Amino acid sequence: MLTENKRETILIVDDEELNRAILANLFDDVYDIIEAENGLEGLECIRQLEDRLCAVLLDVVMPEMDGLTVLKNLNRQGLTQTVPCFLITAAQDDATIREAYQLGVMDVISKPVIPYVVQRRVNSVVELFQARRKLGAQVQQQQEELLRQAQQLAQMGMGMVEALATAIEFRSDESGEHVRRIHDITCYLLRSTPLGEGLSEEEIDLIGVAAITHDVGKISIPDAILNKPGKLTPEEYELMKTHTVKGAQLLSQIPQMREHSAYRYAYDIALHHHERWDGRGYPDGLVGDQTPIWTQIVALADVYDALVSKRCYKDPLAASVAMEMILQGKCGVFNPELLRYFQEAEPSLSRLYKPLGG
Amino acid sequence: MDLMKKQILQDGGIDVDEAMARFVQNEALMMKFLLRFSQDKNFALLKQAMENRDAAAGYTAAHTLKGVVGNLSMKALFDQASAVTEDLRRGDLDSAMEKMPELENQYQRVLRTLESL
Repeated sequence: MLTENKRETILIVDDEELNRAILANLFDDVYDIIEAENGLEGLECIRQLEDRLCAVLLDVVMPEMDGLTVLKNLNRQGLTQTVPCFLITAAQDDATIREAYQLGVMDVISKPVIPYVVQRRVNSVVELFQARRKLGAQVQQQQEELLRQAQQLAQMGMGMVEALATAIEFRSDESGEHVRRIHDITCYLLRSTPLGEGLSEEEIDLIGVAAITHDVGKISIPDAILNKPGKLTPEEYELMKTHTVKGAQLLSQIPQMREHSAYRYAYDIALHHHERWDGRGYPDGLVGDQTPIWTQIVALADVYDALVSKRCYKDPLAASVAMEMILQGKCGVFNPELLRYFQEAEPSLSRLYKPLGG
Repeated sequence: MDLMKKQILQDGGIDVDEAMARFVQNEALMMKFLLRFSQDKNFALLKQAMENRDAAAGYTAAHTLKGVVGNLSMKALFDQASAVTEDLRRGDLDSAMEKMPELENQYQRVLRTLESL
């Protein structure tokens, strides 16, 4: 909730005590009154009390600093926008009045003042500024509320995607931690190494979301294959490999997914996270950078995480062993540059894993 | 305000109703400034400036005097002070000088009135 400062003080700047007394007497039943005896003093008051003032009544001819010079100073600091200023003047020359309006006074009131005229003019402008501030605060509140709702929606969307991915992980008896870690490793490499060069923070966030759905295609793989403890037969393996194409298909058939800004990443990652640098991956046998760098990263993260985690067909390996296997090409050939950065980042990445048994 | 006092002030060229309206019927405040008027230095400053033929100083004094008497609704004095102020704004010392006797006349009239209260 935004709280509006109480603005109930009128500042009267005039060197004549009589003038100040008359104006103060006009307003002191409704407002707090502060008086200043010359322009310099008035300017100082405004600087100190800006957020409490609802109006400034300013004489023109004054010692130390005249009213127009005060206005120039206020104008330069943008204060004439927030505190309505009135020029109270006996001098009726056109040039002064014109300049005053150009400098942002709300009104020019001639002296000797006619009480109800001053009261009416000052009060309506004070009310106008109050209404404007109130409206501005309301609009800002509504904007914040809208932003909050949009964030909530986005989080809910993310939650649905994660729920879907996690549900699929559960089928293959994985904890759901897997997708979370792929997300974290991918984002970490894009943010903390030169691999993410040219990508904005927003794009990296989207790629992170897209990494989560890399294995959604596994929903089409029968339990018997997905959870088979031993080695797959060649036929079973061929079927297993279809989770890439099936995953991309699945994503492309959900309209909300297709319209999501992460879609183009998610589609490619689901389809190509088993491609390899030497062209011996699947399903398309892409070579080198034909696979986008972010999909290459997800592919490597996927392999690393599978090695260091427990699976139905294997026990977890130590991080050093996993790293060694990857570098030796035991899990397929990866982009050498990617491997170098991955190796550098590995000590930080292993912190994403709970200590064994924990 | 008692009628006697009001009559005296009005005879002295002071528009009491207008002045009271300006002070939002705060008679005490109005009287405080009326009675303080004899101590106001601006007429003396104006006279001095005219003798020195100093239009700038004369203008400042006349302008301030005009403001004060205007606020106190001293109508005739206000008109005269305004005329002198305008002359001096243009730097027309001679024209202002011609108006000084009448200005002084009105000034003394107000002073006498206030003294008689």
